[in-house]
Amino acid sequence: MEHPYLFFVKLFEAIGLGHWAHSNPHVLYSWVVIILLIILFYIPAKALSMIPTKGQNVSEILISGLEEFMVTITGEEGRWLLPVAATVFIYVLTCNLLGLIPGFFPPSANLNTTLSCALTVFVFTHVIGIKYHGAKYIKHFLGPVWWMIPIILPIEIIGHFARVLSLSFRLFGNMMGHELVLGILFFLAGAFFVPLPIMALGILVCVIQAFVFFMLSVMYFTGAMEHAH
Amino acid sequence: MNKEKIHYLKDLAYYSSIGFQVSLSIVIGLGIGVWLDKKFSTTPWFTLIFLILGIAAGFRNIGLAIKKSRKL
Repeated sequence: MEHPYLFFVKLFEAIGLGHWAHSNPHVLYSWVVIILLIILFYIPAKALSMIPTKGQNVSEILISGLEEFMVTITGEEGRWLLPVAATVFIYVLTCNLLGLIPGFFPPSANLNTTLSCALTVFVFTHVIGIKYHGAKYIKHFLGPVWWMIPIILPIEIIGHFARVLSLSFRLFGNMMGHELVLGILFFLAGAFFVPLPIMALGILVCVIQAFVFFMLSVMYFTGAMEHAH
Repeated sequence: MNKEKIHYLKDLAYYSSIGFQVSLSIVIGLGIGVWLDKKFSTTPWFTLIFLILGIAAGFRNIGLAIKKSRKL
């Protein structure tokens, strides 16, 4: 569905890249998210002080809350996973919340963006597994007895690909559905403020989906750190 | 948030993802089977074998969830 008015796409039209921007709004708005995150988090992180300013207070609460939450799930040995997990959470949350501003397109309402996040988590899961178990990591895929290997191995591989697809499809489906409902309601009865309650529900959907993405990726990391069953 | 609440949320996320995983495992198995059949033109065989493997993978997820919930 083509959006009626996208602010940054119009901006790109003005400098003559309108064709590219119309076919790839998710890439354009991912850049917007990246710039927003650099302004909100990266530049203040350069100027940390012992007596925190307002912005530093907010980000400290966010990061320490995420860390505490993650350590309860993974145990103390998983504390070093925080950078990856928290990055994924903050990026996905910002992507989702961007869709609530009129004239902005949430990058997570496109399958390419969510699939890239899910593939990052997928690859990092196996990196953790090889780091913790070495060559013995293959035992995770082989099952308990040797003669069941030809059955268990394809089953496990299919299961691991199902993880990637379920992570990416859930986020994409929820965000796309939210956008579609807003668009249809706005088209039908926009003059009577009908989309307004759906937008309020949208805040809830955005936070929950980002949270589920974060939690499931942390649980996959934990599964790779455990010993083979 | 206390620890009990966090474990409750974790279980919620885990069990709500099982439905997705079961259906997607079957779809992935079917997709691999159809693709292999098109490549080697051996029409029903790879589709059937990989469909069964996909169904088995999906139901193995349920089995693991049952095992996990009994241990707690």
